[in-house]
Amino acid sequence: MNDAKNGDARLESLAKRLGASAAERLDVEATARKVLAGLRERPAARRTWIAEHWLRIAAAIVLLIGGAIAVRRIVPVDSGNEHSHLVADDLGDLNAEELRAVLVQFDEILGSDSVVSDSSDLRELDAQELRAVLRSLEG
Amino acid sequence: MAQPHVITAPSDAALIAAWQSGDERAAAELVGRHARPLARYLSGAGAPDAEVDDLVQETFIRAFRAVDRFRGQCQFRTWLLTIGGNVLKDYGRRAARRKVMPLDESVRDASGDPHEQAVASEAEARLAAGVKMLPRLQREVFLLRAQQGMEYEEIAAALGTTPGAARVHYHHAVRRLKEIFT
Repeated sequence: MNDAKNGDARLESLAKRLGASAAERLDVEATARKVLAGLRERPAARRTWIAEHWLRIAAAIVLLIGGAIAVRRIVPVDSGNEHSHLVADDLGDLNAEELRAVLVQFDEILGSDSVVSDSSDLRELDAQELRAVLRSLEG
Repeated sequence: MAQPHVITAPSDAALIAAWQSGDERAAAELVGRHARPLARYLSGAGAPDAEVDDLVQETFIRAFRAVDRFRGQCQFRTWLLTIGGNVLKDYGRRAARRKVMPLDESVRDASGDPHEQAVASEAEARLAAGVKMLPRLQREVFLLRAQQGMEYEEIAAALGTTPGAARVHYHHAVRRLKEIFT
């Protein structure tokens, strides 16, 4: 226990002497003169840099936002096409009978005067033709 | 009976305020107060002897330029020493790029300076070498505590950590350094 305390005290005592000779050699007055000269040489370099830095960032943001607005005005975005998705493409695994069932359901949703209201006509179509009918209904 | 006229030295805060309003004498006074402890700190943290003067000047210039950001969260000296740590780190990077003697591998050379040779004991040299090998945070906490005699609260405020964490770093540093001496 005492050994540990002595060890700590010795370490701290040595640490207090670390760099003492470098500190003694330092010419404080000369250091102060050189520091002031350095500050006079480049007095507001950092502030100028910061101001320029922020101006550049602000200019870049303005350009970015302005450019985005201009692009949106020049090139109209067709949101419909962006999300277009044909249901018929998802029905590739269905056979002719299942496709007929889908069309009949579709017909019921759309109303009685639709193209496929007479389900007897659908029986004459094969799977490929039924898919074509579905696509035409989707637009 | 005339009262004795007591002249009290202006506080660091007063000198900082004076410097901010353009008083160069205030800056010179701050250099006078803190240059030697800063030189000790930089040297203890591994600055080559030949570079200590320049590093002290660079630290003060950086500190005076950034003094608007000093909010009095710790003493001016503590804040200055942490800036000194950053200046030393930047110096180490530049030295490594120029392939000059890297900071952590630099060996204190007392042979060329008879005065230092006389003063620096073998134990001091071993401690200096050990301190250089510590991780940066442990090194800074150790020097601020053991060399500069600062409290953990003060160290924590300067390094942006908690007093508990500062204490842990200090004890890790001491344990490592003791291994060097055993």
